Amino acid sequence: MDQDITAAREKFLNRDFDEKTFAIPAEKTIEYARLCGETAPRFLDASHPEFQAPPTYIASLSGSRSLPEGFPRFGLGMDAGKGVECFLPVRPGTTITGRTHLHDIYSKTGRSGRMVFAVSRMAFFDADGQHLANADSRLVMREKS
Amino acid sequence: MAIATIQEVVFGEDLPTFEPDTSLAITKQFAALVGWGGARFSDHEAARKEGLAGAMVPGILNQGYLVAMIHHWAPDAEIKAIDTVFRAPVIADEKHTISGVVTVVNEEDGQVEIDLTVSNEKGETRVFGTATVQLPLA
Repeated sequence: MDQDITAAREKFLNRDFDEKTFAIPAEKTIEYARLCGETAPRFLDASHPEFQAPPTYIASLSGSRSLPEGFPRFGLGMDAGKGVECFLPVRPGTTITGRTHLHDIYSKTGRSGRMVFAVSRMAFFDADGQHLANADSRLVMREKS
Repeated sequence: MAIATIQEVVFGEDLPTFEPDTSLAITKQFAALVGWGGARFSDHEAARKEGLAGAMVPGILNQGYLVAMIHHWAPDAEIKAIDTVFRAPVIADEKHTISGVVTVVNEEDGQVEIDLTVSNEKGETRVFGTATVQLPLA
């Protein structure tokens, strides 16, 4: 592994750098589900006994910052992908807390040079501290040659 | 026919494809809903000035389409994880197809893995990914 990537991993991985609370309004999660083309009543009908936000709804929630302070600028950043892990349903009408850390930093080198990837993970918890879900954002930075 | 339990899933089967509404109107509404301002999701001309081929469908809306397809196939399916790679922009007002294929079936714990693709009319893959899905055992 490249020395600068190793150094960045040692300095930044697995340290929370942001915390934010989010209200989960039912009307918003229903509209989100509708626009995605969901048809299952548990996402669309607030009176359904298992009413919940669509599983990828949390991917739309942004923290106050996407990278920790002082993180090196390897190049121009672009959104390379998103991942979601679901442990418990996110219930509309509640408030949840998202805590963000860098989950992974790695590089790939191709014909056009080196690209550095940073995976920022927001872990979501309910008011009882139960871990509901994780949302990963993968940022790719292409180095200037 | 909708899948109800893990026993009904066949390794290698294709999920019924889904053609989502990728119109600019939907893209615009979605971007406004999630608070993503910026003309790149709402205005073809402005997006072209940014060097794009047109206004884009937000990546997380594509992810939402993929999950909706899984729920159309198996309404009681619980998404345990989904990972998507945004390979190229999905342009609004262009027809796209959402497809999936079952690559792992575990009858003991009721979990399946599905490879996912968003492709355009030329058959080019714009978004791909994988989902791990929990189905009822019986």
